[in-house]
Amino acid sequence: MIEAFYDISPAWPVIIAGLLAAAFPLHTVRKGLALLAPVLALGLWFNAPSGDHLGGIIELGGFTLETFRFDGLSRIWGLIFIIAAFINGLYGLHEKDRIADAAGLIYAGAGLGAVFAGDLLSLFVFWELTAISSVFLIWGARNNAAYKAGLRYLAIHVLSGVLLLTGAVIRASETGSWAFDETLSIETLGGFLIFIAFGIKCAFPFLHNWLQDAYPKATITGAVVLSAFTTKLAVYALARGYAGTDVLIWIGAIMTAFPVFFAVVENDLRKVLSYSLNNQLGFMVVGIGVGTELAINGAAAHAFVHIIYKALLFMSMGAVLLRVGTVKASELGGLFKSMPATTVFCLIGAASISAFPLFSGFVAKALTLAAVAQDGHWIVWLVLVFASAGVLEHSGIKIPYFAFFSHDRGHRVREAPVNMLMAMGIAALICVYLGVNYGVLYELVPFPEAALYYQPYTFDHIVGQMQLLLGAMFAFAFLVRMKWYPDEKRGVNIDTDWLYRRFLADGISWGHAMFGRLWAFIGNLIGGFRSRTGGKLFEVFSPIGALSRDIPSGLLAIWTSALLAIVLLIAYLAP
Amino acid sequence: MSDQHGKHDELIHPVARPFLWLDSAWLKASMIWIFLAATLGFVAVDFFHHRHEYVHLAEFYGFYAIWGFGAFVLAVMVGWFVIRGLLGRQEDYWDGDETDEEGQS
Repeated sequence: MIEAFYDISPAWPVIIAGLLAAAFPLHTVRKGLALLAPVLALGLWFNAPSGDHLGGIIELGGFTLETFRFDGLSRIWGLIFIIAAFINGLYGLHEKDRIADAAGLIYAGAGLGAVFAGDLLSLFVFWELTAISSVFLIWGARNNAAYKAGLRYLAIHVLSGVLLLTGAVIRASETGSWAFDETLSIETLGGFLIFIAFGIKCAFPFLHNWLQDAYPKATITGAVVLSAFTTKLAVYALARGYAGTDVLIWIGAIMTAFPVFFAVVENDLRKVLSYSLNNQLGFMVVGIGVGTELAINGAAAHAFVHIIYKALLFMSMGAVLLRVGTVKASELGGLFKSMPATTVFCLIGAASISAFPLFSGFVAKALTLAAVAQDGHWIVWLVLVFASAGVLEHSGIKIPYFAFFSHDRGHRVREAPVNMLMAMGIAALICVYLGVNYGVLYELVPFPEAALYYQPYTFDHIVGQMQLLLGAMFAFAFLVRMKWYPDEKRGVNIDTDWLYRRFLADGISWGHAMFGRLWAFIGNLIGGFRSRTGGKLFEVFSPIGALSRDIPSGLLAIWTSALLAIVLLIAYLAP
Repeated sequence: MSDQHGKHDELIHPVARPFLWLDSAWLKASMIWIFLAATLGFVAVDFFHHRHEYVHLAEFYGFYAIWGFGAFVLAVMVGWFVIRGLLGRQEDYWDGDETDEEGQS
């Protein structure tokens, strides 16, 4: 342990590497930084003192910023963010895009900074940095759709930051505290605003659609990077500030269920993964809502394994997009003949997210489900079991089946580049390793002692889980055989984005048109009044007006006499 | 384009060649029976072994298989008839925004 580095957050080497990458035109240097920075961050993570630690304190303008809080919760989130940053760097090794390289590193560093932030002001700084840096991963696709989606994404995330800051200021004015901890409460105005800020980033129901809008339009590597940090940072923030908040149980339950229906009929496979991501977040949010040690362990473990298997699935679809040029299910099929390694990696990701025994999802999801059941929320538990079958549908079957099997569309393409395969291989290895050696995961969770009381590999659990998965797979085969499974066809399904992309946009257009008409009416009214009044004045005062005309001297004498009479009368009557 | 089974398709990856049977008609036709047999096999375990669950409802014979089957069918039907039926639109609904993915790096 090197004591001199105790106060340096693992975020800094990654952010600094991002800034350097922005300056270096040589892409090999940038790629070196992308791989080296996470390694340095990992070194700082290992170097952090055991036990709870608060360091990296910066005094600025009368405020105290705590940039390195290292405890049970930030420890596991920090580690998985570092691993994700390394895998992302490896996956994007073939790309030559200076902006994307820099943005990816700064974004990952900002995510780490937010996780290790000890106060709300530090959190806000890194929170906004994640939003601003990540939008370049969407714009990097360099097409009109990505540009507009990026703008919407940025607007929503900046709003989240504004709400966070507003809530923090209100709370500080009431309590004098900028603490980012379990004292946050939705029962105060400040706490409620912060909760909504977290909820936007966590893709709560009705606040979710930025995710399905933006992620599928990001660059190939960008979608992988985005899938790792933003939403899991929000889950972390909820776990830090709002663990045990009951309303999260129902919010999470809804989050697990509704994306399932959208994912079934979505044609864009990266959008399917975005809905799937939303569904997975629901499991974590439920765990945080329950708030027991087992449940928080479940949420943390789920976030850890989810980042890996979700990245793996996004990476496999990215490889398909790179080689085939599309990820539309209606255009794909039979790719296992061309991309066998990518197929295997995708299947491992699918097995992990579906929670097959011996894969990472099996262990993590079981913790949350057990915590929910132990706490007596049996309706929510049933919803989660339903959602588990839904996960199998969209991520376990749909993604690999329609991309790599199903109807052979005759695409004969090259296998993914070596760096992509290596990144997918590492992610796949972690999925299997944690599924088998779950003790490693148990040592990382916030409450390792509590985790030891739950054994995932019991005979009952394996039998129950296999019944669920096989029952769902039989349903798939049955529906396909009966031709009751919907064909993949081109099209879009409107979601809550309709409210702001169509209803609000049309409302603003209508309002603009109405305002234009009203303005024209008022203009006409004023113009008419002015022309009428001006006409009258013109008639009187203009060079050809009444007052300019030659007045007969007789008439003027009469007027002068009348005025003189009035003046004399006033002088006589005056006291 | 490949021939029907791809055996003479030279563009197929050599690693994938031993697994072309995955694309065979007999396997696709048999999938339903393979999954049915596997499901029933795991359900049969319940008749010989009482599963202990936190939620008592789940201790019912074959509960998870029934729930998994029902959940899958419900998800597909709601997705098909409600989501696609009510909310499905042409691909150019958002001014063609969803169609231009080709420019991605």
